[in-house]
Amino acid sequence: MNKNDLKVISFLAYKNISKSKATFFVIVAVMAMSFLSITFFAAIIDGLGYEFEEGMIRGLTGHLMIEPSADSRYLENADSMVGKIKKIPEVVGVSKRVEASAVATHKTIQLGVPIFFVNPDDERQVSRFSESVVLGDYLSRKDNAELIIGTDLVEAYTREDDAKKSLDVTVGDTIQLSFSNGMVKEYKIKGIFKTGSQFSDNNILINYDDYEDIFHESDVASAILVALPSRGREEEFTRKIIDLGVTDQINPWQSKMGKVKQFIGSLQITNTITGVVGLFTAFATIYIIIFINVTNKRKQIGILKAVGIKKEIILGSYVLQSLIYGVAGVVIGIIAMQGLIALLTVYPLSMPIGNVVPILTTNRLVTTAITLILASIVAWFFPSKKAANDNILEAIFGG
Amino acid sequence: MNKVIISAKKVERIYSNGIVRTYALKDVSVDIQQGEFVAIMGPSGSGKSTLLHQLGLLDNPTNGSILIDGEDVVQLSDDTRTRFRLEKLGYVFQSYNLIPELTALENVYITPMARGMPEEEYTAKAKEMLTKVGLGDRMDHYPSELSGGQQQRVSIARALVNKPKILFADEPTANLDSDSSADTIRLFRQLNKEIGQTIVMVTHEENEGKQADRIIWIKDGIIDKAKK
Repeated sequence: MNKNDLKVISFLAYKNISKSKATFFVIVAVMAMSFLSITFFAAIIDGLGYEFEEGMIRGLTGHLMIEPSADSRYLENADSMVGKIKKIPEVVGVSKRVEASAVATHKTIQLGVPIFFVNPDDERQVSRFSESVVLGDYLSRKDNAELIIGTDLVEAYTREDDAKKSLDVTVGDTIQLSFSNGMVKEYKIKGIFKTGSQFSDNNILINYDDYEDIFHESDVASAILVALPSRGREEEFTRKIIDLGVTDQINPWQSKMGKVKQFIGSLQITNTITGVVGLFTAFATIYIIIFINVTNKRKQIGILKAVGIKKEIILGSYVLQSLIYGVAGVVIGIIAMQGLIALLTVYPLSMPIGNVVPILTTNRLVTTAITLILASIVAWFFPSKKAANDNILEAIFGG
Repeated sequence: MNKVIISAKKVERIYSNGIVRTYALKDVSVDIQQGEFVAIMGPSGSGKSTLLHQLGLLDNPTNGSILIDGEDVVQLSDDTRTRFRLEKLGYVFQSYNLIPELTALENVYITPMARGMPEEEYTAKAKEMLTKVGLGDRMDHYPSELSGGQQQRVSIARALVNKPKILFADEPTANLDSDSSADTIRLFRQLNKEIGQTIVMVTHEENEGKQADRIIWIKDGIIDKAKK
């Protein structure tokens, strides 16, 4: 194939496309829609999985969770450890927590509730509680005998069909907490929070200072949560924390996922299966549409061959057309998808687990794009090759 | 008119459909001189178009030999036959067979373009040829915007733009009205007289055949009679 052949190939491809604009738009639209249908559902599932994980990270584990070694109940010298870790460059936030449980009493209802004793300011950098208050206010450092409560514990926010017990309380009401050491204390509800994560919304948050008053222990923590600039840097920061002399367990969030990990794994398997089925369906759809289109060009291919145009030129022009159709379809699909993602980033899908933003991974984008472009090339190449190899008279006159 | 430009010997074309073998051409031998205007005539299904397709390298005979300009074209590879058609042969079909996506000018210059001719040259040649067939003012029109007669003239311009050794025409007037038919045959005659163009034309119309130098009559796949 020489330079002149390429010129003829480009000329024929250009003329075919520019004179068949309706066909061009239909095929490109089908390809773009195929791209969207494959990637959008997958991106929602990926977003759902991400949100599940994020709910754990921003509610229970942070990116790194420092916990006492097996033979200790608490981390000692927690404040010092928090202070040192905060000084590590790029660390976004560090917060110590003590986890406890109590029996909450309001009117005639009694309910066992998990409690986090936290430093409210430190917690802002690590968890979503501060930004998830739907009624009232977030805790402040000075609050004493005040708490914030998750919506899953508040009757007004639970579903009617939910058989779980809940408290008929609102902001300003008082509830009584009975702790494991026998201490009973009344707390005013300062705020109600809803993160969207079932792992967080069944908790009560109380100022850490109260823990010291109730349990007479200070400078301890059940866990220290560390928020990093992004996922994927857990090992790097684990090493930095170890370098500070920390000998306690430093667990990345992945190791704390438990059943969430199994659930997300199941989601990913479902996603892979539907993705593969979607790709096959898109491949078949595109193949059929293009096959019919190229079959209708059989006569044209026969004429070109009859007047002496080389088979390579004819095939080349169809492969070039297929590339143009494929790339145009995929590019428009990507633009539409990015537009949808941008829209859903501003207006996320509100799901029971929280606000879900679709996530289009580079891997999925590239795989889908390549598959659709390949589908286009294959769909153009084989029928046009068959037509180019056909007897000229059969191609022109049928048969 | 002494040089034999086409020499076909014992050409057979058999179509097989399972065990049924149909002889479209049987033992046909024919010589055509350079510069000759030959009409192939015969009843429907007689094999006249089949003969033209064998001579024009649009089909392969089952048996026999065909020499064009001294070259044994039956033995050529598919690619060489394509090149041979591009450089030495021109075609006019009954249903024009223009490329609908190309303008009249582009339909004409696509073959010199494929031969590697510079753009200015192939554009000039195509314009010249379209002007010669009376379509100087229709060059940028698409086939769908032209009448049948005009499309056939574009087809003739396309066939002649590479100055082919032989022009093959398969019932070129079958889809035309009588005026356009007369114009087309007159144009063939003129080309034959003025530039010595060798023309092999299949036709049903005896009055068109009479315009040729010679008529080859075909019946049931064999040459029935020949007359000058």
